[in-house]
Amino acid sequence: MTGLFTSVAEFLSRPYMFIAFMIAVPALGGVLVWLLRRFGAARFIVSLIFALSNLFFAASVYYGGGVNTSAPFLRALQLSFITTEFSAMCLFAAAVLFLFVSAYSLSYFKAGHGGVFMLYYFISLAMVNGALASDNIGMMLFFWEGLLCTLFGILLIGNLNNPRTAIKALAISGTADLFMMLGIVATIQAAGTVSISEMSSLPVTKMGALGCVMMLLGALGKAGAMPFHSWIPNAASDAPTPFLAAFPGSFEKILGIYLITRIFTDMYDITPGSAISVFVSIVGAVTLFLGVGMALVQKDMKRLLSYHAISQVGYMILGIGTALPVGIVGGTYHMLNNILYKSGLFIVAGAIEKRTKTTDLHNFHGIGRKMPATTACFIIFGLSIAGLPGTNGFFSKELIFDAALETNIVFYILALVGAFMTAASFLKLGGAAFFGRLRTPDGIDENEIREVNAGMLTPMCALAVLCLAFGVYNTYPIDTLIGKSLKIEESFSGWPHSSTLVIISCAVLAAAVANHIYGTRHNGGALNAVDHIHYAPGLKQVYAVAEAGYLDPYRWFMGAVNVFSAACTWIERGVSWIYDKAVPGIVNGVGNALRQYSNGSLSRYLITALVGLLALIAIFIAAIR
Amino acid sequence: MENIVLYTVILAPLLGAFTLPIFGRISPKLRDIAALLYVAAALVCAAVYVAFSLPYGFSFGFLADALAVFMAVAATSVAVFIVIYSWGYINGHEHQNEYYFMVVLFIGAMMGLVFSTNLILIYTFWEISALCCWRLIGFYREELTIVRANKAFIVTVLGALIMLVGFVGIYGEYGTFDMMEMKGKTLPLWIVVLILFGILSKSATFPLHSWLPDAGVAPSPVTSLLHAAVLVKIGVYAYARLFVITFDISKAFTVALPVIAAVSALVSAGAAMTAKDIKRVIAYSTISQLAFILLGLSCGTETGFVGGLLYILAHSVAKGGLFLCAGIVEHSLHTKDLDKMGGLWRRFPLTAVAFALCAFSVMGIPPFSGFFAKYLVIEGIIDAGHPIIGAVFIAGAVMTVMYLTRVFALVFLGKESGYHPEAREGSTVMIGSVMALGVIALILGILIFLPGGLVSAVTEVI
Repeated sequence: MTGLFTSVAEFLSRPYMFIAFMIAVPALGGVLVWLLRRFGAARFIVSLIFALSNLFFAASVYYGGGVNTSAPFLRALQLSFITTEFSAMCLFAAAVLFLFVSAYSLSYFKAGHGGVFMLYYFISLAMVNGALASDNIGMMLFFWEGLLCTLFGILLIGNLNNPRTAIKALAISGTADLFMMLGIVATIQAAGTVSISEMSSLPVTKMGALGCVMMLLGALGKAGAMPFHSWIPNAASDAPTPFLAAFPGSFEKILGIYLITRIFTDMYDITPGSAISVFVSIVGAVTLFLGVGMALVQKDMKRLLSYHAISQVGYMILGIGTALPVGIVGGTYHMLNNILYKSGLFIVAGAIEKRTKTTDLHNFHGIGRKMPATTACFIIFGLSIAGLPGTNGFFSKELIFDAALETNIVFYILALVGAFMTAASFLKLGGAAFFGRLRTPDGIDENEIREVNAGMLTPMCALAVLCLAFGVYNTYPIDTLIGKSLKIEESFSGWPHSSTLVIISCAVLAAAVANHIYGTRHNGGALNAVDHIHYAPGLKQVYAVAEAGYLDPYRWFMGAVNVFSAACTWIERGVSWIYDKAVPGIVNGVGNALRQYSNGSLSRYLITALVGLLALIAIFIAAIR
Repeated sequence: MENIVLYTVILAPLLGAFTLPIFGRISPKLRDIAALLYVAAALVCAAVYVAFSLPYGFSFGFLADALAVFMAVAATSVAVFIVIYSWGYINGHEHQNEYYFMVVLFIGAMMGLVFSTNLILIYTFWEISALCCWRLIGFYREELTIVRANKAFIVTVLGALIMLVGFVGIYGEYGTFDMMEMKGKTLPLWIVVLILFGILSKSATFPLHSWLPDAGVAPSPVTSLLHAAVLVKIGVYAYARLFVITFDISKAFTVALPVIAAVSALVSAGAAMTAKDIKRVIAYSTISQLAFILLGLSCGTETGFVGGLLYILAHSVAKGGLFLCAGIVEHSLHTKDLDKMGGLWRRFPLTAVAFALCAFSVMGIPPFSGFFAKYLVIEGIIDAGHPIIGAVFIAGAVMTVMYLTRVFALVFLGKESGYHPEAREGSTVMIGSVMALGVIALILGILIFLPGGLVSAVTEVI
């Protein structure tokens, strides 16, 4: 098998082959699936073939020693793809997720629907492949920003009458991508090369500092960290669930974390405790804390999960931001875990939505016994994200806790509080949706609540199995996948070395369980289990302000833009006034004055002529002297 | 052979224009087709230089070099679609003979201008273009349109006259108007400043830009041709021809002009965010994007220069398309007021798609051609060692994304306003033209090496 992978990787390393098979072919697949959108089975098979072929190529790149190809394209933009082990691993992860999420999406959309979605999704895969494998950093930006078009397009599907979210996403992601553009050109200037593989440990000074910070902002924006996060909860309300699994759930996390990790591990020289490291750690800690704080009080399943998508990326960024090997491994491992359980959770939400026609937790209750497999998957995903000892989420979080504590205790405390709220919100979600007395939404019969079809159930179960495997056999992801690819020699696999940290984490989980039991009894039901926190004095007001959108950075940004625009419009009016009123006024005024002066009086003309003559003589004398 | 091609590029539209009113008296159809043929002849001949790699020729004060051919292709390729679009748009209006006469004469003047090596010839064609612009803005003969036409004419002609003083100054320094003889010579500061008045007023750069948003009263194809695709590019072309290819100018301008451009980019982008008139938004956007072009050409690095030239092409195609899309909507709704639009994607689905394609290109989103241009321009200014100016332009680019998204959403998305129950998609030639421009904006990006190769040839002579 390895021999096959190696020869395929060598084949992909020939000029233009990578772009043909990992970029053009997925795009072509999208077109075919779109053309076959009315034929349920055919589109499924074609989609599966293309997704599997992409997985095969990605696996070949990873196991076959990577690709290294360069071909002339445009003088300023050499077409070169060189994968490192890390980028090949991300390619592989993206291909695996694409296979599952595309299979799920096709089952989610009935025949005749979802054609445009799949088209955009396949093109997005092409862009992700291109961005991950690009060695030319300008080319990477091309693919990176290319995702913006598909993102905007997907968010517009079905929302042409209400384009709010699409516009917000375009404005926020577009801004982050343009920061990234500035960062990339500054990085090229600082490094003196466009080739990422030739950039190593660039100093973070002057142009390098600009390049590093701006690229990080771009990457944080793609990953969905604060303050670039606020379109995601809106998307949870407006976009179909496959979108959430595909973009905020997997692709954007992979790309964002990939780039942050590359910046930290090989492009720039970032040491633990340096300004950049502290800055990124703070972004991570704030994102995880505020994200999960908002998730805690949500009573809509998709919105709740979307806030968790934000908070989980905060953990990853905090881990990598510490610049400690344990943090970088932990953050990257958390990214892999997160794409498994977060995509899985979105798929679970989609399955429930399919049956109940709603994601509002007020409307249904206790559907677990009607959907046992879905419930089992939810439990696995929920325990993983909450970090129950033994699950994959536990191991990655412990590594991040370790790094956070070593950096600053404040980060550690924030991360612990985040873990408490994560566990509490999933206990609430699980307790309300799956357990307790069965209640179906109005107009939906009990018998209509049943397992979804195999097309949706299979990816869900596969992700759950992978989740379990990544926990039990964590040596493989931690040492083989991540440690080796990032060339970190120290091993972080196996049971966490600090028993104290494990005990504290367990105590936090126990506190979350106790809180849930207390809340359920005190507030009347699992759905209201955290209401005593939500409506606690002080917090109640903060939540009210946040829920009303006043803390949305997008809102502040738009406010600032509007003030700036008003000022520009005012300047513009001033300039127009000069052209339209002032200059014509002066010309007319002078003309009128001259006309009135020329009243036919001979003496007036004589005096004027005399004054003019004297002036000429004066000028003449001045000139002679 | 080369000379025949060179003369055809210039003379086909320049002299052909005078036959159009006569053809119009015989048959309007004949006139319409003749107008297209004259412009297409110029395009074909310019393209022949590229396709067959003809040796660039020189004759009687006209020179076909890579820059001239590039500009000619960029201008005429958009102009062809604008003429076709005009068949649908201008149909039924009065003074059509004059309309086609002026449009084709303008293209002829543009061709003359880009191929001229003599400063006086450049000035002459410059003023012919201003004259055509004046007549075309005032095409509807209403009081407001005439006032606005006069404003555009006075501002650009005044700028050109100041520039002429600069040209005379050059004659005073070197005793010739022929640029071929002055290659590599240094120009004194005051001459450069005088010439810049002409350039900045023609390319509508703040604070000499005020005529451009007001010129939106013209018929939409005119706005597209003059105020997006071709006329406003004359100024930046002159900059490239005079101050990059021909003369050496003080290094101070590699900072001064980017700063002027930065102010222009930001102020006009801000104004575009609040404007209520669809064509005003796009016109402000033009001022803002012209600043990017000026930045690329003036920053003093090769990357920036390549970016600036690609920007000219990418912007001509995309912005030309945007104005034509606005024209389709305005033509059907009889209003330019954004408040009275909304939800129009149902009635104008193809226009909406074309608008989105062109807007993505102007925003600079891959794989559209605008992306490469914007990227190279920003890289150019960073290469020149001015990251702060680069950051200001990034802010300008962010605002570009916002105001174009805003205008797209206000026009095509959301709930239908209900003001225009009878509004419907434009005629086939109009839709065909805008779709073609949208698709070209995309294809030029995917096949960026085609214009890229042409632009590389331009930089080789520097």
